[in-house]
Amino acid sequence: MRGSGRAIQIAACSGGLCLLWAVATGAFLLRNNTVTLPWILGSVLPCYCAGLFAWWHAPTHAVARRLLLIGTALSVSIGIRYTSALLTTRYGWDLTAPENGLPSLEASCVVLPAEWVNLAVSILVAHLLALLPDGRFRFRGERAVLRSLWALLALPFALPLAGVPTRIVEYVVFYYPEAWLPGVGATLLVVRCLRARAAGRADVAALLPVATAGATLFLARAASRLFRSWHGESGILYLIGSLLGALPYVLISLSIVYAAFRYRLLGVDIVIRRSVVYGTLWLIISGWYLGMAMTLGLTAGQYFPIGLSVLVAVTATALFQPVRARLNQLAERRVFGERLSSFELLVQFGSALEHAYDLSRLAPQLAAGLQQGLGLRWARVRLGGGGNLPVHIGAAGEPPPTGPVPGPRGGFPLRYGNDVLGLIEYGPKTEGRFTPEDHDVVETLARQAALAVHNVRLAAELSTRVHEVQRQAGELDASRARIVHAQDSERRRIERRLHDGIQQDLVALVAKLRLARNRLGRGGDIDSVLTEVQDDAYRVIDELREVAHGIHPPVLTDQGLVAAVTSRARRMPIPVTVHIEESLDRVRFALDIEESAFYLVSEALTNVLKHADATHVTIRITRSGGWLEVEVADDGVGFPTATTGGSGLTGMRDRIEAVGGDLRITSRAGRGTTIRSRLAERVREEISD
Amino acid sequence: MTEPPMRVVIAEDHYLVREGTRRLLEDTGDVAVVSAVGDAAELLDAVEELRPEAVIADIRMPPSHHTEGITAAHAIRAGHPGIGVVMLSQHADENYAFDLFQRGTDGLAYLLKERIGELDELLRALREVAAGRSVVDPRIVEVLMGSHTRAADAPLAALTRRELDVLRHMAEGKTNRAIAQALVLSESTIEKHVNSTFAKLGLAEEPQLHRRVSAVLAYLRHAPR
Repeated sequence: MRGSGRAIQIAACSGGLCLLWAVATGAFLLRNNTVTLPWILGSVLPCYCAGLFAWWHAPTHAVARRLLLIGTALSVSIGIRYTSALLTTRYGWDLTAPENGLPSLEASCVVLPAEWVNLAVSILVAHLLALLPDGRFRFRGERAVLRSLWALLALPFALPLAGVPTRIVEYVVFYYPEAWLPGVGATLLVVRCLRARAAGRADVAALLPVATAGATLFLARAASRLFRSWHGESGILYLIGSLLGALPYVLISLSIVYAAFRYRLLGVDIVIRRSVVYGTLWLIISGWYLGMAMTLGLTAGQYFPIGLSVLVAVTATALFQPVRARLNQLAERRVFGERLSSFELLVQFGSALEHAYDLSRLAPQLAAGLQQGLGLRWARVRLGGGGNLPVHIGAAGEPPPTGPVPGPRGGFPLRYGNDVLGLIEYGPKTEGRFTPEDHDVVETLARQAALAVHNVRLAAELSTRVHEVQRQAGELDASRARIVHAQDSERRRIERRLHDGIQQDLVALVAKLRLARNRLGRGGDIDSVLTEVQDDAYRVIDELREVAHGIHPPVLTDQGLVAAVTSRARRMPIPVTVHIEESLDRVRFALDIEESAFYLVSEALTNVLKHADATHVTIRITRSGGWLEVEVADDGVGFPTATTGGSGLTGMRDRIEAVGGDLRITSRAGRGTTIRSRLAERVREEISD
Repeated sequence: MTEPPMRVVIAEDHYLVREGTRRLLEDTGDVAVVSAVGDAAELLDAVEELRPEAVIADIRMPPSHHTEGITAAHAIRAGHPGIGVVMLSQHADENYAFDLFQRGTDGLAYLLKERIGELDELLRALREVAAGRSVVDPRIVEVLMGSHTRAADAPLAALTRRELDVLRHMAEGKTNRAIAQALVLSESTIEKHVNSTFAKLGLAEEPQLHRRVSAVLAYLRHAPR
């Protein structure tokens, strides 16, 4: 069995040649000897084809090699049979063996190889069956028992030499091994299975039912073959005999080809056109069917005139037709596997997809459904991605290969509009190839899944937005309340300044004027009093100007942000550096933008004076990409940014956010404070010089 | 009274202020208020019709109460270079002064409104603008002097401390002699500082008077720290 690949190739070729030779001889040279043609079609051809097929796909597998050798040996055997028939009928050779002792030299040349080949076939069948499924000697004793069978090869030579009568030799050498060895092989397999089960080897033990059935069948066949050999072979007995004779070869061939696909018996991934698989099975079934039909015709030919027997043959062919059709159907279904129709698959997933708000559950469901529904090796489904959705991956079947899947099965993107919302990847089918229907199924499923993911995305977006809106609404309420509060306290402050400051000053002024009048009445000098009154009035004017400026700086309205900011900066008691982009000089922004920006700078500068203990401030105002950016940085004491909840800063933030801007404050103790703000730039007018 | 009184038009929307100012000015005998109007349009009409020597105008007037006075002042200066304009403003903000002086300082004065109470100041300003010179309210100068702001590209950075002192006094409208007295220096030293300031500000080729005002403006715009 360990022969090199080359030897197997030569054997296979010679087997094929023998088969051709036999068919040619049988069909053209030995017209009257058509008895063995059904044998060729019913067992030799299926067996040889199956062997060739198995070996082609698994050239080193012991089972495949044995099957091929069996087919080859059968072919060689039939070749020798036809050659001997040719020699006796055409060239008058006498190949009949004598009652006792060795046959003549020329008879030995033909008969002995034929017997050896036949014995080899039976021994190989026993080997094949006994060593399933891997074809290797696995348990103690197997090798010894099976190897010892080869000793049978000595019999054709040894028995005549020992003087055993030729009739007995024939039984011992020709009938008994052929009848019993398949049964022996199957029985040994039963033993092997039992030992495997004891040893905990599930893969071998699983064959026990098959092995038991095979052993029963083949042992029964052996018994009946023996019965036939005692009662001669004619009539219906011949038919039964022929059927039983072909039984092991057809069964074994079918089983192995089938198992090679269905259960990967030969241990290799058979990726092959399903028509070839199907064709092989069909060939075996058809050969057997043809053989049976011919046998029936020939059997009839022994009783009826030739015309009637033709009729019987035709009838038999017609009668066998449904059987053949049924077998074909069976073969097809077994090869292609059970497959859900796209409709079934969609119905199965329809409701799951409709209510799919949880992609983490949907992805494995989808993968499993796809993998089982189409009979795939593996399937992997990736849902989500492309935006804010998290990615969920579900896989089913064998572990998918890492890295990108090569070839056209690289993946089936889930598309919704222009968005890719996921990916369906899958491996080859466990049996057969992809059909257009399979692709339809995947495509339909992908469409449905894309829709589902889209729905999930919409739901997620909606929920995010609702949350955002709720958060903003809450923020807005709080901010509005703060702004109103800030406005109220500002009003109170102004009211206090007007009443307690300016009004009191004016009252004092009135008093001083009264004093001046009194002095005048007494004829005194009022010049100094009036000067005092005038100075007081100036102070009131200043105070008033300041209050008005505090309410709203007029320069901001009249001349815009740049003038207002520089004016404010000039009144700072500490050095201020102002960087303002030149283009800003001529631009007027929307009123609320200018006011918010100015308020920010003003507040920031006030804070610097109040808290920062800074020696220098830098104000920077720039435009970039539709944003007005305002920055106020000082070199003061700073503060830990975590404590930015001060009402001043909150007020600033409220004010900036109210006009759709944002505010960032960076500060570290001892490293100064920087307040940066971005405001959406809304231009009011360009001022032409 | 050797000279005839100066012919002046007053534009002021507030009745009491307008009439008060008129009475104060006429009381001096140096000024004849030929017309007192309430808004910029009337002012321009009066100027066309009466051709006064100088105008006193409020910065905020109807209809919108923003800077109609400045606009009117520019119009008057453009149409009648001989007529000086004294702008009276309630704003102590230097930006309004810059606005007024943006096309040149000749014949223009920027005074805070309360200067009405200091009649001498007002009269001096009227005389200065009528003579084509310029006056800036000391309050504005004070703000700029006290300022610590520094623009990134200040042209005054090249000036020495002493030159800046001189320029500041110049901005207050003082003559070289007055500056020399204030800084306790000789007039020729002041002259030297003034000329080097002009050179540094690129004003050497300008006529004397214009140079002075330009230097002041440069100073105002790019106030040093």
